[in-house]
Amino acid sequence: MKISAVENVKMRYAEYKKLDSRDKKTFWKEGLINNALYILLFVAIIYTYMQNKRFLTTNSIINILSLSAANIPIACGIAGCIVLTGTDLSAGRVVGLTACISASLLQAVDYGNKMFPSLPVMPIPVVILLVILVGGIVGFVNGFFVAKFSLHPFIVTLATQLIVYGVLLIYIMLNGNNGQPLSGLDQSFKDFVTGSYVSFKGVPIPNYVWYAIVIIIFMWFVWNKTTFGKNMFAVGSSPEAANVSGVNVMKTTILVHTLAGCMYGITGFIESARIGSNTAATGLNYECDAIAACVIGGVSFVGGTGKISGIVLGVVLLRIIFVALNFLSINQNYQYIIKGLIILVACSIDMRKYLVRK
Amino acid sequence: MRKRILAVLLGSAMAATSALSFAPAAFAEEATEAATEAAEAAGAAAELADLSDSDAFIAVFYYTYSDTYISSVRTALDAKWQEMGLEEGTGYQNYDSNSNQTTQNEQIDTAISMGATALVVNIVTSGSVDASQAIVDKASAAGIPVIFFNRAVESDEEEGKVLGSYDKCAFVGTDAPEAGHMQGKMIGDYVTEHFDEIDLNGDGQISYAMFMGQLGNVEAIYRTQYAVEDANAVLTEAGKPELVYFDESNTDCYQVDQDGNWSATAANNYMTTNLSQYNEENGNMIELVICNNDGMAEGAISALNDKGYNLGTDDCKTIPVFGVDATDSAKQLIADGKMTGTIKQDAEGMADAIAFLSGNVATGKDVMDGTDSYNISANVSNKIYIPYGVYTGEE
Repeated sequence: MKISAVENVKMRYAEYKKLDSRDKKTFWKEGLINNALYILLFVAIIYTYMQNKRFLTTNSIINILSLSAANIPIACGIAGCIVLTGTDLSAGRVVGLTACISASLLQAVDYGNKMFPSLPVMPIPVVILLVILVGGIVGFVNGFFVAKFSLHPFIVTLATQLIVYGVLLIYIMLNGNNGQPLSGLDQSFKDFVTGSYVSFKGVPIPNYVWYAIVIIIFMWFVWNKTTFGKNMFAVGSSPEAANVSGVNVMKTTILVHTLAGCMYGITGFIESARIGSNTAATGLNYECDAIAACVIGGVSFVGGTGKISGIVLGVVLLRIIFVALNFLSINQNYQYIIKGLIILVACSIDMRKYLVRK
Repeated sequence: MRKRILAVLLGSAMAATSALSFAPAAFAEEATEAATEAAEAAGAAAELADLSDSDAFIAVFYYTYSDTYISSVRTALDAKWQEMGLEEGTGYQNYDSNSNQTTQNEQIDTAISMGATALVVNIVTSGSVDASQAIVDKASAAGIPVIFFNRAVESDEEEGKVLGSYDKCAFVGTDAPEAGHMQGKMIGDYVTEHFDEIDLNGDGQISYAMFMGQLGNVEAIYRTQYAVEDANAVLTEAGKPELVYFDESNTDCYQVDQDGNWSATAANNYMTTNLSQYNEENGNMIELVICNNDGMAEGAISALNDKGYNLGTDDCKTIPVFGVDATDSAKQLIADGKMTGTIKQDAEGMADAIAFLSGNVATGKDVMDGTDSYNISANVSNKIYIPYGVYTGEE
């Protein structure tokens, strides 16, 4: 039974007409509150544009897209953990570790401070597989302890965050590198990530934007079209019910965390080339922005709900705020306050939906 | 006997690790040679005490292991301890305070209860008399000396308040404003010399971007302030117009890492965003980039690279980028022509001074004994300054 968009609107309108004046008022009020974020975003974009016309130039829009793209994989990964009513605090450190691993293996041969001087530049696919593997292992450990011992993900990932940080500190001291930033990346690596095949109106679109789109499509497919995706939502809504209906809760939990870990690995790989300088502090607090993006995009800590489109919107929204505040030259102190308020409002609106239902 | 077995085991383990490492033998040799040379150079300044037979147990607290410069100091200092005959675990012990003053205080308590004979402290809360006094009180209660390094223990107004309160304490660090002054002068000189080259849009003004590492950090504040003030002083003297911040509506005249990390990521995100509206097509390109540290400089350079600047090739425009620290990777960038200059913090010199003072206290001498060759503060007698240096290429 497919309904075309026009029919849908007509039906909605007919329904709306049937309401009495009081219900009509509630309809608008509810609509306004539930979409407050989009309305605010729209107002913010218009306002920024009025103040600074350059905000909506091709250059600026592509910049917003690129900044968002860099954060897409980690947000898509962590979203799965949130759907399971959990979280992942180890995300940022995994990004740091995988970024440093990518950089150390892909330094130019003639770079003076090369970490492994005798090592040739590794083939890029090998490095991608390696960082996905490293991220996946950490994710697997997270998932295993969450599922096997029913530990809260907050505790488990707090522990792995520390462990991964320790490994990262050891890694960056290796071979006389002594904690120096890992840079001097091979040109092929930089080209692969930050180079550009396509330009839009003369502004090159960095390649990692396309990679982010591939990730979005892949994750959308996994979430919506696979048994695993459906199981994930089932476990997130109610592990007991999922278990009764024959879902392997343990396997699903482990897989969700492992997939998340793989996504952090990809983020680390991209960040490594995008930033060009990798230290033990790389990736610190990345999980905060990723979690914020997810909850803004409607992935609820209540569990069992969330859409990939919402996550993408959340990521883009956070980046638009970052760029807009800069274009408006707003004092840094206020930037913290504004960001905090947006997260608070977004989550309140989100929770309100569930409270109303109850 | 047990000790010997342990030593044999350790030795074979080390041999195994070095065999496994990717470094060819030649490289390792080179590194050792360089280390020896550096040690010789330092040795010329002051002879380090031999503590192999003493019962010295030195506890060393680093504010965070993740800091690039502090990692250099740690490596240099570890080498010094070993040179003095101290082994990790029996002669000295390193602690990572992980950017948390409470953690550091607890570590200090633990170290004192373990029988530490001296404390070497890279304090977390920089410039706070309360934080440093608490540590001095712990040390004096235990009757052991404390040597602070790198991060300031007191603000300029309260100079001597903490360091003067205990005779077995000292400070080895840098004069916080000095890096800013030096960077400012270096920028001023460079811009004066290359003014027309830098002024891409030919409007007779140089527009600059400033990336600050952390709000409320003394070093960051001084560097942000003096880098521009001093550069302007040089320019004015040479009859050139002062630097102009690229975004006239931003009255702060800096962009700061919101996580307080001095990170390349923050500088990179800002710079790409800035370049999306300030570029040559719009005739308002950022013509000069000043960063509080080299990490941020690297992030900014990476953003410039993406737009085809600072690639180090002959046919490519270069926006002058300045940092502080002289990390190995920044030196490489300068050598490749992608970065213009940085200010060197002397990790080796700092480690040497710390080791010398520790040797003094371990051999029962006065903490500041025989330090005439060092650069001692004019106001406080137990405060040693390790000078910064300008770095714009091979020394």
